[in-house]
Amino acid sequence: MSSVIEVQNLTKRYRETTALDDVSFTIEKDTIYGLLGRNGAGKTTAMSILTAQNFATSGQVRVFGATPFENPSVLSRMCFVRESQKYPDDATGRHALRMARLFFPRWDDDFATQLIEEFALPVDRRIKKLSRGQLSAVGVIIGLASRAEITFFDEPYLGLDAVARQLFYDRLLQDYADHPRTVVLSSHLIDEVAPLLERVLVIEQGQILLDEDTDALRGRAAAVVGDSAAVEGFVAGREVIYTESLGRVTSATVLGGLSEQDRQRLVAADLDVAPVSLQQLVVRLTRRAAESAPKHKELVP
Amino acid sequence: MNRTLSVVRLQLVNKQTYLWVPLLVLGGALLITMVIFALLPVEGIVGGGAQAPMWYFLVVGVQSLTLTFPFSQALSVTRREFYLGTMLTALLASTALAVIYVLGGLLEGATGGFGTGSIFFQVPGVWDEGWAGAGLVYLVLSFAFFQVGFFCATIYKRFGAMVLTTGLILLALLLLAGVWLVTRLEAWGRFWGWVAETGVLGLTLWSLPLLAVLALVSYASLRLALP
Amino acid sequence: MIEDGRPIFVQIAEGIEASIIDGSLSEEERAPSTNELAAFHRINPATAAKGINALVDDGVLYKRRGVGMFVADGARAALLARRRQAFAAAYVDPLLAEARRLGLGPDDVAGLISERTAGTTRKEPS
Repeated sequence: MSSVIEVQNLTKRYRETTALDDVSFTIEKDTIYGLLGRNGAGKTTAMSILTAQNFATSGQVRVFGATPFENPSVLSRMCFVRESQKYPDDATGRHALRMARLFFPRWDDDFATQLIEEFALPVDRRIKKLSRGQLSAVGVIIGLASRAEITFFDEPYLGLDAVARQLFYDRLLQDYADHPRTVVLSSHLIDEVAPLLERVLVIEQGQILLDEDTDALRGRAAAVVGDSAAVEGFVAGREVIYTESLGRVTSATVLGGLSEQDRQRLVAADLDVAPVSLQQLVVRLTRRAAESAPKHKELVP
Repeated sequence: MNRTLSVVRLQLVNKQTYLWVPLLVLGGALLITMVIFALLPVEGIVGGGAQAPMWYFLVVGVQSLTLTFPFSQALSVTRREFYLGTMLTALLASTALAVIYVLGGLLEGATGGFGTGSIFFQVPGVWDEGWAGAGLVYLVLSFAFFQVGFFCATIYKRFGAMVLTTGLILLALLLLAGVWLVTRLEAWGRFWGWVAETGVLGLTLWSLPLLAVLALVSYASLRLALP
Repeated sequence: MIEDGRPIFVQIAEGIEASIIDGSLSEEERAPSTNELAAFHRINPATAAKGINALVDDGVLYKRRGVGMFVADGARAALLARRRQAFAAAYVDPLLAEARRLGLGPDDVAGLISERTAGTTRKEPS
C-alpha cells in the first residue's frame, strides 16, 4: 500500500480556538476512510486544508507527494464538496454539473445522468430553490461522478431521507469496486456508514484519537454485563472505557479483546458479553477523551 | 492555461449572468428612455440609461466572488486559474457590451436618435474621439465596474466587513482631502481645465493604472481567501 | 445478517464456512467473489477480500488464476472436524453451567437430551 496523503504536525489556530493541534496521519491509496468526530472536532478544517481551500498555521501537508496549494496537477485529482457548499445563485443543477465536468478529468457523464435519475433531482430548477436534500444530492452526484482519485464527502447526507442515503452508500460501494479510489467520508451516522469503511480516523478536540483498521476496532471492544461485583472482579486490570449500572447489574466496556480463557472465566462467573458497535465504541472513546483531556482550547493565549 | 479557459467556460455555462441579463437591462433602459423621449415635446435630451448595464456588472463582479469562487474551489480550481479566467470573462463581456454600445451609437447617429432627436448612446464627450475612442471608453468603464465589485467582495471575503468599511471610509476621506486641497490652493479652475483638456478618453486612460492597482490587490487578497 | 459488534471479515468467512458445511457450496465449486460479497452484504470490498483471504490461508478456499476462488477438496471434512471441536466449548460448557445453576447434574442433562431427541425425531422423521 502506498499513501496518497501525508500530514505532519499540522496545526490550525483560529483567533480563539485550536481546530487542529499538531496532527499527523497518512491516508492510503484506494481506501475508504471514515473521518469521525463531534461537531467542531476539526474534521472540516482538516479536509479544507488537504484540498488547499484553507491554510495551515504550521505543519506540512503533502498530497500525491506535492503541496496542494495552487497546484493544479494535485488539485485536479481531488474533489471536496462541502456540507454547506455554495453554488452560483442563478445556476441550475444541470449548470452545476456541466461546470463540474469541465474540471475533473475522470468525470463520467453517463454515471451522472444515472444518478440524477435515481436521486430524482430536478436539474432544471434554480439551485437557490432546491430543498436541503436536493442540494445535498447535487453535491453527492458531483462527488461520485467526478471519480476523483481522492474524494472527500463532508456530511453529504444532510436532508437526504433513509432511501436516498442508502442509494448513496450503494452507489459509492459499487463505483468504488469498479473504479477503486481514495474516499474520505465524514459522518455522524456511524452505524450507517460503518460497513463501508476500511479504516477510521477519529478526531477529538483537534487531535487524532484513533487511526485504525475498522475491523480490528470491531474486535477490540466488548461489553461485559452482569452482577456488579463479578463485573468489577473481571475488569480489574483491564482498560475500561465506559461503565453503566442499573441496580446491581453493571455493564463495562473493555478494550483489548477477549481470549478463550477470558471467555471461560466469563461463563464461570455467570457474566454475559455483548458486542459493542463501532458507533458505541467511538462515542465512548470520544467521551472518555473529552473528560480526561485538559481543556487546552481555552488555554490558548 | 487550459483550465483557465475552462474557468471562462464555467462562468459562461449559465448564459443568463453574462449575456441575457445585461442585454435585458440595456434593452429595457433603451425602451423606457425612448418612450419618455417620445412623450416629451423637446429634442436633444441626453438620457443616462445607457449606464444601467454597467451597474449590473458591479453586481456580477460581487457575485462571481461570493458564489462562483466557493463553487470553483469545490471543483479543485486554483485561485490563480479562477482569477485569470474570471477576469478574462469580464473582459470578454465588457468587449461585447462596448461593441453593442458602438453599434447602438452609430445607429442612433444615423437615425437621428431613433427618430426622437434625443441621445441614449452618443453621450457627449464620450464620442469626441470617434467610435473607436467611444468603444474603448465603454470597454474600460464596464470592466472597471466589474473590477470594483470584485475588489470589494474580495476584500470583504478576505478581511471582513470591518476592513472593507474602514477602507471605503478612508477612500472617502482621501477624496475629501483632495477636494479641500484643491479648494485651498484655489486650483479648481486649473483642475477643470485639465479635465476638459484631457477629455473623457484621456480620463479613461488615466484610470487604467488605478484599475491595475485594484486588480493586483484583488489577486493578492484572493490568494489567501477562504471559500 | 452482518452485525456491527464483531469483525466483519470474520463474519464473511463464517458465512462461507456455513455454506460449505450445509452443502449449499460444494467442493470444487466457485465461491462468491469479493465484489459479489461486498454488493450483497453492502460492505467494503476490502473487508470482504480479507474474509476470503482468511479462508485461503486456512486452506478452505484456493485461487484459480483468472477465474476466482474455489472450495478446496476436503474442505468440508476439515471444517466439520473443527466445528465439532469447538462445539463442546460453544454449546456444552454453557449448557452445563446453566444446568448447575438450576441444580441439574450431568446425568439429568443427559436424560433431558435423550428425551428431547426422541421428541424431535418423532415430530420430524427424516
